[in-house]
Amino acid sequence: MTESVPLTWEEVARVYGRKIYNFAYRLTGNSDDAADLVQEVLLRVRRGLASYQPGSFEGWLWRITRNAFLDDVRRRNRRPTTPLPDEVDRWSLASAPAADTEYSRISIGDDVQKALLELPYEFREAVVLCDIVGLSYEEIARAVAVPVGTVRSRIHRGRRLLRESLT
Amino acid sequence: MTHLGEMISAYLDGELSRPEIEQLLIHLDGCGRCAADMQDAQIVRSAVRSLPLLELPAGLVPEAETELVSLHRNRGFLVGAAAAVVALVIAIAAIVTPSAATVSLEELNSRYGARASLDPAFGPAKVVVPDLAQLLE
Repeated sequence: MTESVPLTWEEVARVYGRKIYNFAYRLTGNSDDAADLVQEVLLRVRRGLASYQPGSFEGWLWRITRNAFLDDVRRRNRRPTTPLPDEVDRWSLASAPAADTEYSRISIGDDVQKALLELPYEFREAVVLCDIVGLSYEEIARAVAVPVGTVRSRIHRGRRLLRESLT
Repeated sequence: MTHLGEMISAYLDGELSRPEIEQLLIHLDGCGRCAADMQDAQIVRSAVRSLPLLELPAGLVPEAETELVSLHRNRGFLVGAAAAVVALVIAIAAIVTPSAATVSLEELNSRYGARASLDPAFGPAKVVVPDLAQLLE
């Protein structure tokens, strides 16, 4: 039996904020949308913490994050696959590398981000939760509310499609 | 032949049971298609995982404990990052007004302690203005 301590939304913000931001950025390719999502998720966490029952905190948090993301997409009435072209991997462009090897690494990063944005939403979400956020299949299943077998299938099919679009 | 496509990614992610691993490895031995599939999945998995972990824009979340952040920076040591994350969680837990919500400290320690020690990019957020906190009051 593990000991429990209070967790505030400020702690959630500090511990998970960056992960939430990266989740949204990799799904949208847009830094403003990602920042908006972090704020929306933290608002929902603050409201929801009062009724949170100890259990899978990751599953709970990422379900909130995922729902906030989808609500935002619906509200904007657009498909989640629409990035602003010059927003793709802004971080990489801003880092101003000097060496040729750096350019080649960044170009690969851009290609991967673009390929992610071309994936059907369910596959992209599963791949990002697995490879960017670092959740287990079981945590992804809880967050997305599908069986673990479906997560397994979505991740592999997502990777297959990524491979096709990267070659 | 029945191919084992979906088991391949699960294998790479450490999500297969022992009997499933055995089944997959035996199959891969005699199936060029699945062996190639495995290689492709491995390449894509590494490519996505090597995307940089982006910094949060400044001011987006409440201010972190700057002393603890600078401590881990000065050490320039991965263990320092892990200790800073853990100390931050403990320090904050000790001073805040308790809410109804609880989460296991041990769970946080093991998860983020371990992750911080593996990932030099992962650490406490380094930001300044708690706009959101004011917004919420």
